[in-house]
Amino acid sequence: MSTKRVPPAIEGIVVLLVAVLGISAPLFGSSFFVNFVLTRTLILGIAAASLIFLSAYGGMVSLSQFLIAGVAAFAVGNAVTTSGNGLHLGWNPWLGMVTAIALATIVAVIFGALSSRTTGIYFLMLTMTFSVIGYYFFSQVTTFSGAGGVSGVRPPPVFDKHPSRIYYAALVLSALTYAGFRYVIRSPFGLAMQGVRDDPVRMAALGFNVSLHRTIAFAFAGFVSAIAGVLYVWWNGQIDPKSIAIAPTLSLLIIAVIGGISRLEGAWLGAFTFVAANSYIRLIPLVDKIGITPSRFNTLIGALVVLIMVLSPEGLVGIFSRRPSKQTFKK
Amino acid sequence: MKSKKRTHIHLAAVFAAAITVSACAGSSSGGSSPASDAAPSSEAAPASEAAPVSEASPATDAAPATDAPKATDAGAATTVAAASGGDTTPIKLGIMAECEGAFGGFNEDVVAGVELALINFAGGKAKSRTSALDGVEGATIAGRPVEIVGIGCGDDTADRAIQEVRKLVEEKKAEIVVGPASGDESIALANYAKDHKEVTFINGIGGAQETTLAVRAENYFRYNGDGAQWNAGLGDTLYSKAGWKKVAVIADDYSFGWTSSAGFIADFCAAGGQVVKRVYPPLGTTDYSTFIAQLPDTNEVDGYFWAVGGTGTQASLEAFVNSKGELSGKQHAGNLFFNPGLASALGKNIAGAYVGGFASLPGDVKTPAITEYLASADKAWDTLPGALSANKPAKPSTAAGFGFFYGYYTGGMAMIQALNSVKGDLSDGHVAFRKALASQTLDAPFGKISLDKNRQAIVDTSVQQLVLNDKGEVVSKTIAIIPGVDQTFGGIFSDTTPAPSRENPGCKTATLPWQGKGIPVVDGVPAP
Repeated sequence: MSTKRVPPAIEGIVVLLVAVLGISAPLFGSSFFVNFVLTRTLILGIAAASLIFLSAYGGMVSLSQFLIAGVAAFAVGNAVTTSGNGLHLGWNPWLGMVTAIALATIVAVIFGALSSRTTGIYFLMLTMTFSVIGYYFFSQVTTFSGAGGVSGVRPPPVFDKHPSRIYYAALVLSALTYAGFRYVIRSPFGLAMQGVRDDPVRMAALGFNVSLHRTIAFAFAGFVSAIAGVLYVWWNGQIDPKSIAIAPTLSLLIIAVIGGISRLEGAWLGAFTFVAANSYIRLIPLVDKIGITPSRFNTLIGALVVLIMVLSPEGLVGIFSRRPSKQTFKK
Repeated sequence: MKSKKRTHIHLAAVFAAAITVSACAGSSSGGSSPASDAAPSSEAAPASEAAPVSEASPATDAAPATDAPKATDAGAATTVAAASGGDTTPIKLGIMAECEGAFGGFNEDVVAGVELALINFAGGKAKSRTSALDGVEGATIAGRPVEIVGIGCGDDTADRAIQEVRKLVEEKKAEIVVGPASGDESIALANYAKDHKEVTFINGIGGAQETTLAVRAENYFRYNGDGAQWNAGLGDTLYSKAGWKKVAVIADDYSFGWTSSAGFIADFCAAGGQVVKRVYPPLGTTDYSTFIAQLPDTNEVDGYFWAVGGTGTQASLEAFVNSKGELSGKQHAGNLFFNPGLASALGKNIAGAYVGGFASLPGDVKTPAITEYLASADKAWDTLPGALSANKPAKPSTAAGFGFFYGYYTGGMAMIQALNSVKGDLSDGHVAFRKALASQTLDAPFGKISLDKNRQAIVDTSVQQLVLNDKGEVVSKTIAIIPGVDQTFGGIFSDTTPAPSRENPGCKTATLPWQGKGIPVVDGVPAP
């Protein structure tokens, strides 16, 4: 790999290329590729980005991000449907969206506050516990869902039966998420957050309110997850408790690890690898003859994770960064 | 900072390249080989190890009849249309199966069900003699070849079902989907059907009531009963024949468990019985002791009704034995998951228990049509690793006699018969095809099936009993056939009544259309 600095012109061209490819994907990709693979990639990417944001810049590996997305998705489902499981309030979809994001962000504030005094493995365990509680809450409390989940959720009319518009919404929101996180990271708050990550004791001695910083970071990440949750239920038309059970929760962490848990870009790269593997591996001729069938997907992803961890501990992103950043590597 | 910028560039370039590559893969994937998605085996545990139909399948007796298995009007229409030289583009068929989860063991069974219909009525031939997952070749309907574009790999959750059906419909361009296998999946698919009017869905064996009674997608057809319909007549039998007055109900906490127990409760209460306790453990529970503890003791009720399915049936009954004492056939009844195989783990005391019906009948009933159907399965494959043989190779008729296989078979049969009657015409948003589906009567091996105005089957169901045979083994026996069971139970269920749930329906006396009209079955022969 060359150490020469890439001229800004080329950098601009590549960024432009990604933008053009993203925007023009519906022109050259099949509808399945765009409306399923890419849209799902972008939605999972947004949720994974919130996990990476907390992990890489706040030192908090959260397993609650999928739960918070799920809270938003269930809130949309309960608010907008008119029959079936849940409250079926029959609200306007936009009102449902706003309520859902607000509700999920409030949940994130509470979870953030509860877990802000823990770090490392304790933080991970605590957020995983929230996820498990959330799963049982939605599968047991039939007032809001029950095991069958909420079906028949319709997006606002502008997106209804226009899957490519949901794709573009996911694309724009992905770009905003990326830009927003990068902005926050470089803001005074973001720098303080990284200080909290590296040495909470010293930051406290300097007068920073460590747990408040963690709570705010968690709430912000929760807000982004909530957006992913709303998009998910608009795109999928339904949400059930198994969608936020422990397996999908871990899948999000796996996505982050595959892509590279130290960099935001890794979220979408990991999500794309995950979704594409799930959708396309089975199309390889004769692959089922060697035992790689759809029901073995988890085995395959597990093997992929091991491979990536061995070859590049920083995920796919790490392959391209010659020298891992010390800061992120330490945590 | 320098290296960071370079990293961005590389990342962006890789991402862009990846998008391009897989976009190409995506657009060229439409023509993949039939059944390329198939999973050769399932990791899930089978729901049971013994077949309620284990006595059935006298393949040899019926050999002369198997060469022309009930191809009747379907076969005739094929010839006519082929001769008329109409449309010869392939009909793209997707099968929505389950390869994981509580019913993952039935993967081979359900795929084989659709394929047997293609073999019997569309001239297809199984590609493998020992597995249905390799697909069928040479099937044509009304001159149009049938291409199985994929087999969806569900895990009994709605979410996964949607992901998988999207692959079938949006990627593989399936025009007709047969499936799914379980309740929540069927509700999700019916909702999905509303948004995909270009596709016709024919239910596999999913038995939630809401699917057709509440969701009512106009392109979703169900030729099997729902869980409630299958239990019609059971409550009445227990009340009037076994003398039960007070009962406790334990059922899976999801749409099928609720629907199945709703059918029993409606029937039992209609006759005058009382439900004193309802307990709903989550699907897939492994330790049932806390739920069993909530049930009344054996001296407080006349009996218990069980609708715990899949891998939970045996586990929940074992928890009962540990907590409340030995099982007795006199005090227990169950839905379709109560099968003779349970005796191997729980002892023969289970004999005597009454059991609700399913799509097919136990092996003691042998009409020529049933014998012919089972023989046709044995002819199509040498062996199939179905769920009833613990996914070990066994005679295909073992799987074919059980409702999972049979539900998909009738789905496939309905599709072929309707397509033949419209000469393979799927133009105009399948309008003619759907009209044919809605109005036809299916002369299926285990009884005639027609649809109501919600495109839901009106079926004949049965009340069964676990009994000891001459060899001292526990087997299923048909006690009565309950004819013409509709989804509404004579108005107890409707689109305005609450869907079956932990609390619904309530317990009320009523007059059901089939009360007192059950056809007794003596030694496997219905005696009207």
